[in-house]
Amino acid sequence: MKRLLAIARKELRHILRDPRSLLVALVMPAAMVVLYGYGIDTELRDLPLGILDEDRTEASRALIRRVLASEFIRDAGRIERRAEIEPAFRRERFRAVMVVPPGYGEAELGSSGARVSRADPARIQALSQASLPASNQAQVQLLIDGADASTAAIVESYLRAALAGAGRGAGEAGAPPADPRVRILFNPELESAHFIVPGLVAVILIMICALLTSIAITREKETGTMEQVLTTPVRPAQLVLGKVAPYLLIAIADAILVLAVGRIVFHVPMRGSWGALAGYSFLYLMVALGLGLLISTVARSQRVAMTVALVATMLPTIILSGFVFPFASMPWPLQALGRVIPATYYLPIIRGIMLTGRAWYPLEGAVLAGMAVLLLALSIRRFGTRLEA
Amino acid sequence: MQALRPIPFIVRKEFRQLFRDRALVGIVVFVPLVQLFLFGYAANTDLVDVRVALLDQDRSPESRALADAFYSSDVFVPGPPAASPGDLERFLVQREADVSIWIPPGYGERTASFARRSLTGTGDRGEAGAQVGVLVDGTNSSLAGRAAAYAAWIISQAASPPGAAQTAPLAARSRFFYNPELRSRDYMVPGIVVLIVTIISGLLTGMAVVREREIGTLEQLMVSPLTPGQLIAGKTIPFAILAFLDLALATLVAVLWFRLPFEGSAWLLAAGALVYLLVTLGLGLLASTVSSTQQQAMFTLWFFLIFAILMSGFFYPIENMPPGIRWLTYADPLRYMMKIVRGVFLRGATFADLWPQFAALGGMGLVIFSAAVWRFRKRVA
Repeated sequence: MKRLLAIARKELRHILRDPRSLLVALVMPAAMVVLYGYGIDTELRDLPLGILDEDRTEASRALIRRVLASEFIRDAGRIERRAEIEPAFRRERFRAVMVVPPGYGEAELGSSGARVSRADPARIQALSQASLPASNQAQVQLLIDGADASTAAIVESYLRAALAGAGRGAGEAGAPPADPRVRILFNPELESAHFIVPGLVAVILIMICALLTSIAITREKETGTMEQVLTTPVRPAQLVLGKVAPYLLIAIADAILVLAVGRIVFHVPMRGSWGALAGYSFLYLMVALGLGLLISTVARSQRVAMTVALVATMLPTIILSGFVFPFASMPWPLQALGRVIPATYYLPIIRGIMLTGRAWYPLEGAVLAGMAVLLLALSIRRFGTRLEA
Repeated sequence: MQALRPIPFIVRKEFRQLFRDRALVGIVVFVPLVQLFLFGYAANTDLVDVRVALLDQDRSPESRALADAFYSSDVFVPGPPAASPGDLERFLVQREADVSIWIPPGYGERTASFARRSLTGTGDRGEAGAQVGVLVDGTNSSLAGRAAAYAAWIISQAASPPGAAQTAPLAARSRFFYNPELRSRDYMVPGIVVLIVTIISGLLTGMAVVREREIGTLEQLMVSPLTPGQLIAGKTIPFAILAFLDLALATLVAVLWFRLPFEGSAWLLAAGALVYLLVTLGLGLLASTVSSTQQQAMFTLWFFLIFAILMSGFFYPIENMPPGIRWLTYADPLRYMMKIVRGVFLRGATFADLWPQFAALGGMGLVIFSAAVWRFRKRVA
């Protein structure tokens, strides 16, 4: 135990000697929360919309005024001819262009009202193209830059909603035949930060544990100081545990920091118990540590350790675990791959505890515990044989 | 010209040193492929397989038609059957369903009477329609919003008398440019190409220089008759070459495997990469002059990269960010490169369309690279 502490103190001194890295390790997670909390947002705020008014009547100008009054739309200018649309898209001047065709004003006078439903845009589009009469001259056209596909779909549904609102000026349709009462549980405001912050804890714990520990150990190998430490009476297990202990502390501090920033800045709720969260997080931490150690037994240089840590742990954790991209929309080989990633099991736990308040996760907990035991045993054994050889 | 003579030798030395580390071949070839395939296949946010738990307390032909409307959509799949209203929330908490629908008694009667009224044109137009309860798991905020909107749309469609909703005169027709099938992959893959070039050129350059310092061979190079300029050229050219190889590899995979359109000119893409490399190689060098260990260099560059990637519009559009952060993105070189690569791939953009991006990158590159060279000289001398 004394030797273990001595190694830990030595490693701590290594860390403290490099205050910039320590600062980065502590500041980066907090800054990530703030940026991801604000930056990952599918809510449109500033949609640059171009207008082509081919009708030039009082009615068309009124429609345009009402559409541009929507708070998520920015008036990005008028264009005169259809030929100008494509070059403007290539320059990314607009994300969408609304074309009011000639005859709009007349047709509007003859009609009583409008109803456009707000739902999945791709389907509405298919439906409207199938059933709209070709002779209807009053159709407003929405030309949308589809390069960014998922944003384009959202742009379309927002614009249709704005059009529906603007069309109301002419007359009101009757009550709808069915009245869906939608209630969204756990995150009624649909705050993206409530979804992202718990996920960031999972990503950051893996990042700190797998990346930092593997690099710290391979550095001693690369600079040749590992042999010097081994000539001392320290046993391999003591060496490993002593070296990783300070990084464990950093990882725990980071997790607490992330949660604190999430609560203070974004008001992420905590509906379950802190005790349960701490317990499951400890399991996950052990898995991450096991991964870091395993990488350091395989890698000979820091560069390799960094790459393996990046490709084998961080990328899959960000992409395959359900951190942002839903598990259900992946093809099955990637789902299979996703099932061996620890964060796939930890994410439902931390999101469940914080957002839904569910306390008990027997299946996920068991998988994490199994992974931790397996990885730690494997890496310590590999470590022992490598060092004695 | 005399000054350029030793450069091929330093480049060759650097390559030999690089490929002595077998794992580096993996880094240069394997890592870009892994990134392409992971992002290309996994990074989509399409709404599929949303499990819906349905409680039908009406048991009429109309309510069964509503249930069928859900199950026959390509988004919703049947979840566990609910036996009581209490189940509806319980399934969401236990993650056994994503959405639950409650069809209360009387649903069929109300929708039927509404249809009669709209046919005969009689009755109170303001009378409320049949209520249907929809509960959505809001944990994943972006999916939840779309699932809720889609569920509401299915319900209002199922209850509408046939042919009623579609004759509205203001129904707009929309057309999507460049990506008419709205495949999110087509937008994602060019972004990954940018990431690959950035990581290979920036991260590896920074670490290579610091590595020599860390193991003490940088001093040996300094006592040789090489000038700092030659040393820098020798250290950066190999990574520029590797970055170009990876750019070609990634573009080939994107076009041949993922069937991406490539509307613009390959030369314009290469020119963009050349200007961009000035920025990334400069950043790598700059990070190496302020770091004494590889860990430090890697950390400094990672810190920069994580923010730069997020603010580049790679995942989420810049227009959605709050104004303060939106201004910050103008300082992000990745932002400009993303626009160049996506413009060339998808929009067929020409130099006339992209010159502001080229100008911004060129300016940044000159400033960053000369700052790096200046600091490097100072540290070497």
